[in-house]
Amino acid sequence: MDGPMAVSALLSKLEIPRDTVLVIRDGTLVPGDAMLGPDDHIEIRPVISGGRS
Amino acid sequence: MKCRVCRGPAVVDVRRHNANFCEEHFLKLCRDQVEKAIHDHRMLEPGDRVLVAVSGGKDSLALWDILLQLGYETDGLYLGLGIGDYSSESGRFATGFAKERGLNLEEVDISSEYGFDIPGGSRAARRAPCSACGLTKRHLFDEAATRGSYDALATGHNLDDEAAVLLGNVLRWEHEYLGRQRPVLPAGDGFPKKIKPLVRLGEREMAAYCVLRGIDYMVEECPMAEGNRHLAYKEALNGIEDRSPGTKHSFYFGFQERTSVLFAGAGDSAGRPTRCDRCGAPGNSAVCAFCRLMERAGGRLPAAPEPVPVELGATRSNGQGSATT
Repeated sequence: MDGPMAVSALLSKLEIPRDTVLVIRDGTLVPGDAMLGPDDHIEIRPVISGGRS
Repeated sequence: MKCRVCRGPAVVDVRRHNANFCEEHFLKLCRDQVEKAIHDHRMLEPGDRVLVAVSGGKDSLALWDILLQLGYETDGLYLGLGIGDYSSESGRFATGFAKERGLNLEEVDISSEYGFDIPGGSRAARRAPCSACGLTKRHLFDEAATRGSYDALATGHNLDDEAAVLLGNVLRWEHEYLGRQRPVLPAGDGFPKKIKPLVRLGEREMAAYCVLRGIDYMVEECPMAEGNRHLAYKEALNGIEDRSPGTKHSFYFGFQERTSVLFAGAGDSAGRPTRCDRCGAPGNSAVCAFCRLMERAGGRLPAAPEPVPVELGATRSNGQGSATT
């Protein structure tokens, strides 16, 4: 990221559907309109599980 | 973003409800949705004993946590399926959850108790790994729930799971499976009652629930599920949901409310119920599918427990008959 960016904009840029991940910063959930800074360390955690029977 | 309930800062958005929630009200939403599912589908009565099928993933651990908060008496059952590091890691999350909360978790390692594992079993039986795994889990969870006289067996199937299964069943017009795709299956013919209390919650909500409740869970997906058909159905539905939030809910509950009656009875056991010659499980064939899979994979049923010797001593009268001491 070159500068501050909203979570939803980042996910769009990465072409990740918002409903398939959680964004976590410092162990805390980050909502879609939250702004991320260039120095933020975030986890984009997938939420889809398979193998259901 | 502001919480729809209290207007405080929101931490999570739920697009199909077109709403955002703070931590407190999101957790309440999850509990309320489970309570509504239990009530609407008559899954449980107050005081029921529930066996929770625990995988170490987000859904089953969130389910266990919510059922405890709702006051149900619960135990857990974890199956070690022998899928390498994935099984050992997921087992660690399941046991960690139970230990931290002082809960009773039964652990069954199929390699040591039944002499086979899922990778070997699926190869030997020429079944897809997810098929062999599902068959094994259903058999052993049913057996444990019946053995323990639980009122119900609860699994962590969520709305995404059920919508994806429904899509697959509709695409192939699997009328027998459609007949059994209900949030609750009553006990009968030797099978326990089975309930899916998470059907009103999506998997993103369950993951968010775990993060907010501080529940550590297995994030990585089972390596054997990669590329399976179920995930393809989920991806297709997620693409539609992205453009039209609420589609999965409408699809699944529309089926339940308006169409499932057309398939009622189609999934019920055909023919006279019988018992497996090997393990005694209910079914309608001489040898059940689990025992066939196990035998093809070179496994065996656990030995029956050795009889415990009873030491006889002098008898004494208690005025109401006799007893040994």
